[in-house]
Order: sequence, then C-alpha cells, then structure tokens
Amino acid sequence: MAARGHVQDPNDRRLRPIYDYLDNGNNKMAIQQADKLLKKHKDLHCAKVLKAIGLQRTGKQDEAFSLAQEVATLEPTDDNSLQALTILYREMHHPELVTKLYEAAVKKVPLSEEYHSHLFMAYARVGEYKKMQQAGMALYKIVPKNPYYFWSVMSLVMQAISAQDEKLAQTMFLPLAERMVEKMVKEEKIEAEAEVQLYFMILERLGKCVEALDVVRGPLGEKLTSELRSRENKCMMMYQRLQLWPECNALSYKLLLKNPDDWQFYLSYFDSLFHLMDKSWSQPEEGEHCVEGPVQTTVAEAVKFVVDRMEEQDKKESRPLRGPYLACLELIHRLRQRGCPDEKELGDPLELMVQFFGKFGDKPCCITDLKIYLHLLPPEQRSQFKKRLGELVPLGEAGEDGFGFPGDTKALQRHLCVCQLSRALGLQHALDTEGKLRLITELKAHYHHGLQFGKNSSTPISLSLALTTTMWANMLWQCLSVLEEGLSFSPSNAQFKLLLLLLFCRLGAFQPVVDLYSSLDAKHVQHDTIGYLLTRYAGSLGQFAAASQSCNFSLRFFHSNQKDTSEYIIQAYKYGAFEKIPEFIAFRTRLNQSLHFAQVRTERMLLDLYTEADVTLSLEESVKAMGVCPEEDDIPWDNMRDNRDLTVLVSWDPKDRELTEEHRRLSLEEESVWLKVRSLTLRLLASLALLGHAPSPRNSDKTNENGISAKSSTLQTLLSQLDQTLETAVQITEKQTQVHTLIYLTKGCYCPYGSLLFPHADLCPSLPSSLSPLRPEMLSRCKGEVLEMKDGRLTTRPSLLETLVFFVETVCVVLWVASYSASVLRPLKSSLQKKKKKKKDSSSAMPVVLCGFQEWTGSLQGVVTQALDHVKGQEASLTALKLAALTLEEGYSQTQEECGFTRAAMDKVQSSYLGSLQELGDLLRKRADSLKSLKI
Amino acid sequence: MTTLRAFTCDDLFKFNNIQAFLNFLSQYGIPFYLQYLAHWPEYFIVAEAPGGELMGYIMGKAEGSVAREEWHGHVTALSVAPEFRRLGLAAKLMEMLEEISERKGGFFVDLFVRVSNQVAVNMYKQLGYSVYRTVIEYYSASNGEPDEDAYDMRKALSRDTERKSIIPIPHPVRPEDIE
Repeated sequence: MAARGHVQDPNDRRLRPIYDYLDNGNNKMAIQQADKLLKKHKDLHCAKVLKAIGLQRTGKQDEAFSLAQEVATLEPTDDNSLQALTILYREMHHPELVTKLYEAAVKKVPLSEEYHSHLFMAYARVGEYKKMQQAGMALYKIVPKNPYYFWSVMSLVMQAISAQDEKLAQTMFLPLAERMVEKMVKEEKIEAEAEVQLYFMILERLGKCVEALDVVRGPLGEKLTSELRSRENKCMMMYQRLQLWPECNALSYKLLLKNPDDWQFYLSYFDSLFHLMDKSWSQPEEGEHCVEGPVQTTVAEAVKFVVDRMEEQDKKESRPLRGPYLACLELIHRLRQRGCPDEKELGDPLELMVQFFGKFGDKPCCITDLKIYLHLLPPEQRSQFKKRLGELVPLGEAGEDGFGFPGDTKALQRHLCVCQLSRALGLQHALDTEGKLRLITELKAHYHHGLQFGKNSSTPISLSLALTTTMWANMLWQCLSVLEEGLSFSPSNAQFKLLLLLLFCRLGAFQPVVDLYSSLDAKHVQHDTIGYLLTRYAGSLGQFAAASQSCNFSLRFFHSNQKDTSEYIIQAYKYGAFEKIPEFIAFRTRLNQSLHFAQVRTERMLLDLYTEADVTLSLEESVKAMGVCPEEDDIPWDNMRDNRDLTVLVSWDPKDRELTEEHRRLSLEEESVWLKVRSLTLRLLASLALLGHAPSPRNSDKTNENGISAKSSTLQTLLSQLDQTLETAVQITEKQTQVHTLIYLTKGCYCPYGSLLFPHADLCPSLPSSLSPLRPEMLSRCKGEVLEMKDGRLTTRPSLLETLVFFVETVCVVLWVASYSASVLRPLKSSLQKKKKKKKDSSSAMPVVLCGFQEWTGSLQGVVTQALDHVKGQEASLTALKLAALTLEEGYSQTQEECGFTRAAMDKVQSSYLGSLQELGDLLRKRADSLKSLKI
Repeated sequence: MTTLRAFTCDDLFKFNNIQAFLNFLSQYGIPFYLQYLAHWPEYFIVAEAPGGELMGYIMGKAEGSVAREEWHGHVTALSVAPEFRRLGLAAKLMEMLEEISERKGGFFVDLFVRVSNQVAVNMYKQLGYSVYRTVIEYYSASNGEPDEDAYDMRKALSRDTERKSIIPIPHPVRPEDIE
C-alpha cells in the first residue's frame, strides 16, 4: 500500500501508523489504532476501512464486510478510502463491488481521469466488456489520450471474443472496432505499435487478410519493431491463410538464407513448394514478380537449396547447425509421401543418418532428432544401421564380462544414443528373455561405469533404459531395486522419481509416493499437468490424511489462478499488450476447466465428509460449509480440459508402442466416468444431508411436505444418474482390457450404493420394511492377504486395499442414512409412547418399523465388527511377515547391494500397507462408535 | 534446428517434456511470467524442437533512465534444457535479446549470475560480457537467508559508442543499492 495521495494531508499522517501495522501483518494493532483514531475523528472513513482490512485478515469477514458497506454507502471520493476499499474487496473476492464504488465516485467527480481509469480497470477485473468500452470512451472524452481510445476498441474485441453468437461478433463488434481504428488512421492519429497490433488483430479476426497484409506492409507496419521479425511473421501468417504460396515460398526462402536453422521456415518452404507444384504454377510475365523475391517451384530447386545449405555448414569452421541436415531428411520424407523418385538425388537415408550421427551423435538431442525419421529405414536395414552407428562409438577393450566401456563423456553420449535408437527401432523388443537379461546386465554395467563422468550427467538414462527393459520380464521388485539404487547415486533425477512413483502406485503403496512427489518440487502449472500422478490413487488407497493434503497442494494453485490472472489482464491493458489479453483469459479458462481441478475438488470434499462427518447433523454442516448443492453440477463436462502430461515419462519406444491419440481419448473417457461417479456420490450425500434437514413429521404441513418431496425427487434423479454412470463404467470395463483399477472396482463395490440409498428416498413418514443391510458379500470381497509370501516369492494384491476403502466409504454412507432414519423415527417413537401412557394400553406392541430399524442397526453393527476384525487380522499378519526371511534370487542374479535396495523397497510397501490399514481401522472404529449412539 | 517464437501461456503446460524439469522453469510463480508477458512480450522467446519439445527460453525486459544513459536490456532468465545443451542455443537466444535491445535504443545489456556458476560466467564472457560489479548477497536461499553474491555482467550496445556503461566498478555493492 504505497503511494497514498499528498504527503501534506494531515489525515495521511494520522493514518500512516495503521498502514504500517497492516503492512507488517500486525492486524490487531491496526484495528486498535483505527479505533483510537475513530474516537477522535468520527468521520475519517478511511480509518474504518483500514479497520475492516484488519478484521478481514483476522478472519472476521462478516464484521469487516458490514463496516466496509457503511463506508461504501456514503459513496466516498477520497483516494485513501477508495484504494483501501479496493484492496479489501479484492481480498474478500468481491471484485464486482469495486465497480460500484468507482461508478459512484465518477458520478460525483465526473472529470477525474484517475477515477475513470480505476473504473475501467475495475470492470476489466470482472470482465464487464461492454462497460469497459463505455468507460474507455468516457475517459478519452475527458482526456484525449490514445491509449484510452484503444482500451475502448480492445473492449469491443473482447465482446466479440466472448460473444456466444459468432455472427454478432462478425457483424457488429468487430466491424465497429474496425471503424473506430479506421477513424484514427484517417485522422493520422495512430501513435503506438500496440495500436497497429490491435488493428491487425481486428482485421485478422474479421478474416480480412488482404487488408491486414496491407497494414503490415504499409507505412503503419513500420511501427511494428519491438518483436523480432514481427512484420515477416505476420505476413507469413496471412500468406498461409490466403494461400498465397508464391509469397509464402519466397519469404521462407529468404528467411532460411538468413537463418538456416529455423525449422518453422523449412516447413513453410516445403509446404508452399508442393502447393505450387500441384497447381503447376509458373513465373508470371515480367513486371509481376512476387513482392517477396524469387519463388522456387521445382523439386530440383528444392534439392539444390537443401544440398547448398548442407555444404555451407560442412565448410563452416564453427559448430555446424543441425537444421540443413534434418531438412534433407524431411524433404526425403515428403518426396516419398508423394511417390516422387527424386528423393534419390538427396542420397540414401541410412547414409545420411549415419553422417548425422557422426556429426551430432555426442549431443543428447541426437536421439530426439533422428527418432522422427527412423521410419525412412526399411525394416531389413535396421540392424545394419545400428551396426554402422556402433562403429562410430569408441569403446574400450572388452573386460571379463564381455562389455567395453566409453572413455569420455562424448563417447558415452554416443553409446547412449545408439542404445536409445536401437530401442526406438524395436531391436530391443525383439530380443528373447535371455537376450533381454543380458542387455539389462550390460546397461547396468554401463551405468555404473558412467558414474565417474558425473552423477547428474546423462548417464542415468542408461539405467532407465535398463529398467524399462526389465519391465518386459515382469520383475517389479527388481525394477524398484534398480531405481532405488539409481536414485541413491543421482538423487535429483526426475525420471527415476517418476518411475518409482508409478511403480509404487501400481503396488498400492501410497506412503513413498508422497515423498517422491514432494521431492520433485512441482510448481504452479505442474500441479495441473503432473499432479494427477499424486492424487489419482491417494484416496483409494486408504491414506486419507495424505490424500487430503495432496489435493490441497493442487487446489491452492487452482484457486490462486483466478486472482493472479485478473491482475495481469489489467497490466496488459496498461502496457498495450493487447494480443496477450485473450491469451491470459484462455489460460485462466484452461485451468478452471481442468479435469484435474474437478477431480481434486470433488475428492477433497468426499474425503472431508468420509473422515470428518459422523452423523447426519455434521454431514449437513459440512455440506453447507462446502457449498455443495445437490441440484447443481459444477463440472464443465462439455468443455473439460485434459491438461495431464501423459508423456512426462520419457520413452524411446518404437512408434507402434507410443502413446496415441486414441489412448488419450480412452484415458479421458475413463477419468470422466469415474469423476462423474464421484461427483454424483458427492451430490447424493449433499441431498441426503439436506433431506435430514426436513422437519419432524409431527407438524408436517403442506409446504413442508412439498419441500421434502422436491428434495427426494432430486435424490431420485441423482440416483438414477449414478446407476446409469455405473452402467457406463461397467461397459468400459468390458470393452477395454487395460482399464483403470478404480473403474474395474465399480463393478463390485459401487453398485450397492444405489440400492442402499434408494429405500430411504421416501422414508418419510414410514420406514419400508425391507431395509437392505450392508451386504456381507461386500466384505467378503475384501478378504485375502494384501501382501503375502508364497513359495519364496512376495506377492501383492493392492486391489484388496481399494475394495476395503470402498467398503469403509459405504459404511459411512449407510451410517448417515441410519442416522437420518433415526432422526425420523425418534419423534414417532416418543409420540407412540405418549399415546401409550395416555391410553395405559400395555398390549400395543412396538410398530414393525421400529423393530425393523433396531434389527437393521444390529446387523450393521455385526458387519462393522466383522470388518474391524478383518482389518486387525490383516495388520497382524502384515506385521508378522518377516521380509528378511525372503531369499532374493529368481533367475536374475542380484548383488548383495542390489538385494539391499530390493528389501528397502519391500519394506516401504509393507509399511505403507500397514499405514493404510491403520487409517482404515481408525475410521471404522470411529464409525462403529457413532453407530452405537444411534439408539431410538 | 529450432523454431524460435514468442512464448505463450500454453507453453507453461509443456514444461514437463524436458527430462530434468527441475530448475528449468519452476523457479518463478505464474504471476512472474504473466507480468513479463504483459509488459515485455517481445522479450520472452521460446525455442522449440521439431518434435514439439521445448528446448529453452529467454525472458527479459527493458528498463532504466534514458537521460542518465542507463536505458538497457536486462536478461531475467535464460534456460536451456539439458538435452538441448551444447548446440549454441543460449548464444542464439542472447543474440536475439541483444538485437531487441538495440532496436529499443538501449545503451547496454546486463544480467546477474551466481559467482560460483563458472560455466555460465565463462559463457557470457565468450559472448562479449564482462563483470561490471559484484553484488553482495544478491541471492538468498529458500529460507530467506543470504546465500551468494552475484556478478552484474554487462555488454555495451552500439549506442554506447565510448563503451562507458561497462567500465567496471571496483567496489562491491549491496542489492539495495542497485537500480
């Protein structure tokens, strides 16, 4: 809170200490000081607002709000109060109130440039584009400065972008914006680069490419100087949209001569060349030459161009650029696609790639580059290719084990690259088991040897390679061992951590995952792109506390996004970075509509309910605090953005094993269905909680009855939606072989949910006789050993844990239902008893419904006790398991050290399972206690 | 072989493609990047490989008083992913930032670097930069404790014909004393 008006103002002097207290986070003192000041100067409104800020920051939102409103209704016009209120409203997440504040201020002080500008920014913060447009013009009328005029123009563009109706954008907003700029152009009032940028943006959005080109190439275009190649880039964009291939070709050619390494222009050069060839374009008569210079129209010219660029690099004394050599492979690829025989002019792809490896094999990017063009090699040439590359890798004399090692980092890098390429060519996959095992040993030896060149150099990659090879052999424990060992040598290797993380998840051991993820030190957007690695399995593995914390990491990021981006949208207006404004808004939307955001939001609330709310009353409180509304679906199903980075694990697999768009689609489908199951569950719980809110049946009048039936109809709708979604989930399971375990589980565990809740929907006023007990078969599905030693092998069944988690969740739900039933039945019973007393009729028996309920809770109690026994039994057998007794040799000889790492990994899994069981046991015990209190 | 283009918000989602994504982009929060994008978009350039992988980026700004001949380009961040090192990419990105600063009429380009980061210091020297002064305890550890000194390195641009801006200051300065 810096600049606050004039220094001379005595009020400033009086307020200063309060500002200081607030700035230093001493909110209590700020409040006190404000109170003191207000005693003397009742009308010092700003002191009130500052006090409100102090209150807000100490958690007294309501008090703060009413104090602020006191001042706001006076419609203050002093700068101090206005600024302080702006800060307060922003902290309260009520930016819309700032607009009201300045609307009143400009009414009272209509000529204030400052207040008008604040008003514009306040509108910008909440995205009121139409009002921004007006505020910008009002500002320009008071102070005719160009930026204000263009703020108004930009607000029109934003109205166009945000318009639901594209027609409205094209016929009204954008043309109006265009006319506004044209007016300035005609009056020769265009001053800044930003104004030309905006003009271009408008024309481009209107599809007026010819006009846009004229602007860029004309005198106005001369203002486009900040960004490098700004005019060229814009021209290129328009040439492509207008399909002006001669210009596109000539410009690409020109730019490549300047920078023969800029890949995007090779692509546009080849694209335009083939378009021109397809159209049999020929040079026009004299005098009509292309504005961008000479155009190339034949394959021969292109071949010569590329060959010349390569020769240029060959002759260079300094480091050669990769561009021309790769352009050569790209051209071969394109010519082959067209069935054009001229590719031979460029040479044999095998030879070209060997040459490329000779030049760049010692750079880590060599694999990334060559991988794109491996398909140019026919299958029968693959082994030969690998052999040729091998000749270019200087390795030392082979030792006892038959392996030779590189003598320096460059040789090491080359060796690595050959390994990676041979994997990408599918050569490693073709090996038999013995061959694979030998490869593992060889790569591990290389890894150990390479450590001398630096622990954080690229050496660890060989380990990852070795490891992925191990995966084929299905040796999970050995994988863990190799990775743990690798991590001990290269503690900051992210790939090791990611792989370990996935393996532990697969094993259902969540404890080590938390540490691994936090050591990755994921920041901001990464909470969205890779956060799924952590949160995906968190809840379902029974580590509730850790799961809740993990969700919080991500949630904190998503929540701050909203506020952060608004500030920079405003800055973009100030600095005239108009192109960035829609970009920032799109960024914000992309995060708000993130699949992961919806997932953590939902899971976090479910976790809180399951772990915190014991009976309906607390369920109701929690649901209200969370603001969950059963009727409202807050997930943007139709616009969901899948921001997950599914390629975060580096893979050198051959093309046919790579992740495809289809995989992505299926994965998103699965995740969405699961999210739907969970969000419907949450909304069902909310509607159950609010059902519990219904008045007692004794004083039921019509309106109340209507209220209840409306609520139960929501419940019915949600239930049938849940049933449908579960059906879809089952279909997905049947359709796909490799589905998510969670979805798979829905088949067994989630189904009873519906039928459990169902009878209670019309519970009021009489309880149906057929209350379904917690089905015993649900518990029987959880039976079995989660970790077991059998014939000297350690086997895991993590799905048992997940089943148990769902069982416990179901117990929670059943308990809420029971608690609700009890709240309905209690008044019924007491009224019966009163009647009994009055009538002194000893013969009347307890109604069936009451007996039924008691029977039901009795059986519930029985199932929960059984479950507790089961958990206890599991804990006992896990603790009794002596992993040390395990001999670790099965066709894969491990050194003593390696055995140590295997054991360490096993210990982690064991202790994680124990942790899960303990948390599950604790929760079950708590629920068993609440069940006991459910007497009617 | 690289595509050099303006950095966009969507690039923030791609930063995991880089093998060692640690320390690559993550040292700053979103607001920091947005601030640069809003104020100096032309100074924020990203390099992309043909496969779409991000190779590196440079982020900078223009600041200082023209009257005092202190108007200059500043390199805020320069980062190249490990797998794309030793290709001359950092030099290329620096060259671009210098050209932008030239066009803006800057007198020099400057940057801060940890005194212990010998690899970086040498690279900047090769690119024509020299140590202008040492800034004491410019870097702080995550706990807020002072951590390390920085070199303030400079390279004169053509507007500074007499190369006055790079005459070294012999005495070290404190972070609060630098503009």
